[in-house]
Amino acid sequence: MMSTRALGLGSPLRRVILSRGLAPNQALIRSTFTKRAIQTESLPPSAQVDILNKQRLLRPSSPHFTIYQPQMTWIPSIFHRVTGGALSALLYGFSLAYLVAPGTFDSVHVVEFVGGLPDAVKYAGKAVLAAPFVFHSLNGVRHLTWDTLKFMHVKGVYQTGYVVFAGTALGTLALVLL
Amino acid sequence: MSLLASAPKRAISRCLSHSRPLLASRSATTQSDALYVPGGPIYKGTVNDPTSFPTPSRMHGSHHWSFERLLSASLIPLTGAAFATSPSVHPVLDGILGVSLVVHSHMGFDSMLVDYLHPRKYPVLGRIATWTLRTATVGVLVGVYQFNTNDIGLTELISKVWTA
Amino acid sequence: MSLLPRLSRSFSSSATRCLATPVTQKPALNKVFKIYRWNPDEPAKKPTLQSYTIDLNQTGPMILDALIKIKNEVDPTLTFRRSCREGICGSCAMNIDGQNTLACLCRIDRNEGKESKIYPLPHMFVVKDLVPDLTLFYKQYKSIKPYLQNSEPPADGKEFLQSPEDRKKLDGMYECILCACCSTSCPSYWWNQDEYLGPATLMQAYRWIADSRDTKTAERKEVLQNEMSLYRCHTIFNCSRTCPKGLNPALAIAKIKMELAAD
Repeated sequence: MMSTRALGLGSPLRRVILSRGLAPNQALIRSTFTKRAIQTESLPPSAQVDILNKQRLLRPSSPHFTIYQPQMTWIPSIFHRVTGGALSALLYGFSLAYLVAPGTFDSVHVVEFVGGLPDAVKYAGKAVLAAPFVFHSLNGVRHLTWDTLKFMHVKGVYQTGYVVFAGTALGTLALVLL
Repeated sequence: MSLLASAPKRAISRCLSHSRPLLASRSATTQSDALYVPGGPIYKGTVNDPTSFPTPSRMHGSHHWSFERLLSASLIPLTGAAFATSPSVHPVLDGILGVSLVVHSHMGFDSMLVDYLHPRKYPVLGRIATWTLRTATVGVLVGVYQFNTNDIGLTELISKVWTA
Repeated sequence: MSLLPRLSRSFSSSATRCLATPVTQKPALNKVFKIYRWNPDEPAKKPTLQSYTIDLNQTGPMILDALIKIKNEVDPTLTFRRSCREGICGSCAMNIDGQNTLACLCRIDRNEGKESKIYPLPHMFVVKDLVPDLTLFYKQYKSIKPYLQNSEPPADGKEFLQSPEDRKKLDGMYECILCACCSTSCPSYWWNQDEYLGPATLMQAYRWIADSRDTKTAERKEVLQNEMSLYRCHTIFNCSRTCPKGLNPALAIAKIKMELAAD
C-alpha cells in the first residue's frame, strides 16, 4: 500500500475496487429506472450540413481594417486609390459641367473666378490639387516598377515608399510655388 | 469455405457504406447552393469540393491588365509633352491626353466598383453604379472633346488657372 | 519493496531541487492581454474584448505561451488553435497587435504599460474566440490543383528529374505552411474572398506553374484569366509584409501577371 501511494496509484486502485463492489447495485438502478433524463434524436447523415449551415449563419465576421496596424504597404495603397479617385472625380465633374453649361464653365469664366480669389485660398487650393497629383503620379511609377518585378520585396516597398512620400512633399512645394 | 462465401458479402457492404456518404454529400451540395450568398458564411458545395473559376476571358484578364499598365506608363511622357507644347496651341496632343486621362479614370473607377460594389454582391446598386459610370464616361468624353475644340483644352486651362 | 520508494523519488525530483542555490523569485511583470471573445453557445452576445493580466516572469517568451497560460490557469473557456509551437504547422495564426502572425513565433512585448490585443485572423467568420472558419481558404487551395500533373511517365521510369536551376525556382514558395496570415491580411481578400483567390493560394498556383516537371502549365494559367481570381491583386504588399515565414507572395503574383501578359 505504501508503495502504491508513493507512485500515485492509490486512488485509481481504490476506485476500481469500489466500482467493482458497486457493480451489481448499478445494474439494479438501471433496470428500475428505464427512462433516462437525456433524450436523443436520430438524424440522417445529410443533416450535418443543415446544422453546420445554421451555425455558420450565426458566426460574426472578425474585425479587419479597424484593427490592422497602419503599414507602408496598405496606407499608400489606399492613398493611391483615394487621390486617383478624387482627381478623376474633378476631371469628370468639370467635363460634365462644361458639357451641360458651356457658357458658365468656359475657360474665361473659370480663370476669372480663380483670379478673383484671395492669395491664401489660391495657395491652399494649389496645394490641395498638387499633393494628390504628385503622390498619385509618383506612386503610380512605384507600381509600374513593381510590375516589372523590381523592388518586389518588403525592403523595396519601404524604400520606395519613403521616396514617394519625400517626393510628394518636394513636388507639391515646387508646384505650389510655380 | 465459409471465408470464401463471406468475402463478396463484405465487398458489397463496403460498397454500400461508401456510396451512402457520397449520396449524402450530393444532396448537401444542393442545400448549400440554395443558401449561398456571395461573401456569406455558407459556401457552395461541401468542404471537400474545390471552388470554381469564372469563364476564362483574356479581355477581362491579362489584356485588361497590360492595357492598363501601358496606358498609365504612357501618361507620364504624354503629360510632359502636352504641357511643354501647351502655349503653342496643340489640340491633338492635348486631345490625346484628355482622352487617355478619361480612359485611365474610367478603369480606376471601374476597378473600385468591382472591388467594393460588385453586382454579384449588390445586384441593384452595383448595376446602377456600373451603368452610371459608363454613361458618365461617355458624357465626359464628349465634354472633353468639346472643351478641346470649342475652348482652349485641358492643359491650357490648367496652366492658366495655375498662374491666375 | 525497497526499490519502489527509490523509484518514486526519482519521479518527483526536478532539476531545480538539485540546485544548491534556490532560484530567486523575479518581481512580477504584469501585462494585460486583451483577447477577442465570441461564444457560439451565446450567439446573440456581440463579440467582446476580454482582459487578462498575467505575470510575464511566470510565462514563456511567446504569445502562444501566454495564451496557453491563460487557458490553463485563468480561463479554460478561451479557445484557439495550436499544435507544433514552432512555426511549422500554421495552426496558431492570429492577429496580434494589429499584425497577422503565428502566436508561437511572436515574442511578447515586455513593455508592461502596453497592452497586447489579440484578434482572430481579420475578416473571417469566427467559429469561436480566436478560431476562424478556414473552409473557403482550403476549398480555394484545392481549386488550383496543388499537386504534380504530368501525364507522361518519367523518362527513366522512376522519377521526374529537375535541373538545380529549375528546382531553385520553387524556393521561397514550397515552404508555405498555409497558415492564411497573408490572405487574411489582404484588403482585396477582405472585400472579395469568395472570388479572389488571395496571396497564399496564388503563390501555390505559381509554385505549380513554375514547376518544370508539371505539364499542365497552360491550363493552370488559363483558369486565372478573369477579372476576379488573380487580378483583384493591387500589389498592396500586406501579404509579404506579414508572412511569418518570410516568404514573398506578392512577388509570385507579380510573376504570374508577367507570364500571363507575355502569353
